[in-house]
Amino acid sequence: MASSSTSVVVSNKEKENKNTKKVTLKSSDGESFEVDESVAMESQTIKHIIEDGCANNEIPLPNVTSGILSRVIEYCKKHKEAAGESEPSVTSYTSNSTTNPLTEWDTEFVKVDQNTLFDLILAANYLDIKGLLDLTCKTVADMMKGKTPQEIRETFHIKNDYTPEEEAEVRKENQWAFE
Amino acid sequence: VQIQAVSQIQVLGFGFLSFYNYKGFGFRILNSRGLVGFGVEMGANMSAGESDTDPPLQPRLGDIPESCIASVLMYLDPPEICKLARLNRAFRGASEADFIWELKLPTNYRYIMEKVFDEETKLKLGKKDVYARLCRPISFDNGTKEIWLHKSTGGVCLAISSKALRITGIDDRRYWNRISTEESRFQRVAYLQQIWWLQVDGEFEFQFPPGTYSLFFRLQLGRSSKRLGRRFCNHEHVHGWDIKPVKFKLTTSDGQHAVSQCYLDNPGNWVQYHAGDFVVKSTNALVNIKFSLTQIDCTHTKGGLCVDSVFILPTSPNLILVKLTLNYEN
Repeated sequence: MASSSTSVVVSNKEKENKNTKKVTLKSSDGESFEVDESVAMESQTIKHIIEDGCANNEIPLPNVTSGILSRVIEYCKKHKEAAGESEPSVTSYTSNSTTNPLTEWDTEFVKVDQNTLFDLILAANYLDIKGLLDLTCKTVADMMKGKTPQEIRETFHIKNDYTPEEEAEVRKENQWAFE
Repeated sequence: VQIQAVSQIQVLGFGFLSFYNYKGFGFRILNSRGLVGFGVEMGANMSAGESDTDPPLQPRLGDIPESCIASVLMYLDPPEICKLARLNRAFRGASEADFIWELKLPTNYRYIMEKVFDEETKLKLGKKDVYARLCRPISFDNGTKEIWLHKSTGGVCLAISSKALRITGIDDRRYWNRISTEESRFQRVAYLQQIWWLQVDGEFEFQFPPGTYSLFFRLQLGRSSKRLGRRFCNHEHVHGWDIKPVKFKLTTSDGQHAVSQCYLDNPGNWVQYHAGDFVVKSTNALVNIKFSLTQIDCTHTKGGLCVDSVFILPTSPNLILVKLTLNYEN
């Protein structure tokens, strides 16, 4: 609906119209997602593409599947909404959880299987979404706390590519942490 | 050809990938199922048939680029990070990332480096190395002080030798003597034979990272020595400590003040007596602290006391418990 206001005062309606500029994101498997430009710009990568004027019809994201992209969009929408309602600092993941109203939502958001979690890290990294990267990295870190290297290798299927010499070297150079 | 390329990547492992900054490299692999892989651009040549026989290329933790691994490691404490460096090459590389250690180092680490490292050392150390070096006690101020970081938290810890304390009557051998002992990190302690007026003062100026700190006097009743590999403690001069308590006092240049009293006890063992706490609020502010141990009730003499050093440690319930149960071995 067109805003009838032409005065200097910015009505809520005008604000809404401003925000309804949309962009289309295309996942690697060919699915298109239409989102508000402001939500898409939670990704610094997308922000730069738009600002450089390279976003014509749609922005292809060949590194992100539709499953992951829809989750990423969900995250960005939720955090953009929260930012709109209060101070921008609220969306920072590193803020004190007692003042961050999204902590609970974020905690639920990352309750996913391992592969999805890593896909989210890769996507957050590629799309440069700091809050999501912080959230997902911290989640993985929490999963790693207290486990022995062998347990971590098993849990996360990590391959040991060290030669015995390298392994001895690494042990030695990190010895200070265990004295 | 494509299949060969994939197996090549797997053999090389992710040490190969760690040389590439993911941003410049780009993730450009797709197969017909749109799954993410690394390193080689595949595309139109990949037939639908081939992809059905591939094992699913689902990313695992080992597939994450080094910069992301570093972002994960950032949330762990230093001993954990060092433990995980042993996982594989990518983790080793990630564990060296300067930005991780910049966060772990105390805010005043440059100030500390000025005091304890020479120019050459300062220039060639990466942030992880700085942290590692500072975790081992380093002597400064002509061997009268030591500084080290608490491994897990990066908290700044200090020890001030009896050599740096002002002891009333220290020059009078009837009262005080300096004796050598391996039970002090400074190799020497001040030993009190007998005195009416016990007064030990100290002063220290330092730029502390913000936080709360506790000050302790490390003292022992009785003089210990080692003979034939066994530890002996000589109590011949120990007297007067059960009559009146000693007094501890602590003040700071910004007006903080703590006073406490305590009966010295536990002969034959080194004890860290808690003298008081002080709070540092602002970064980069020089704080001057003055502290003292006194027992100046001249109706009785006291003696048989070893004064080793003063400790300043970040206050934490765990730290205090650990420190107070340590015997002479620390």
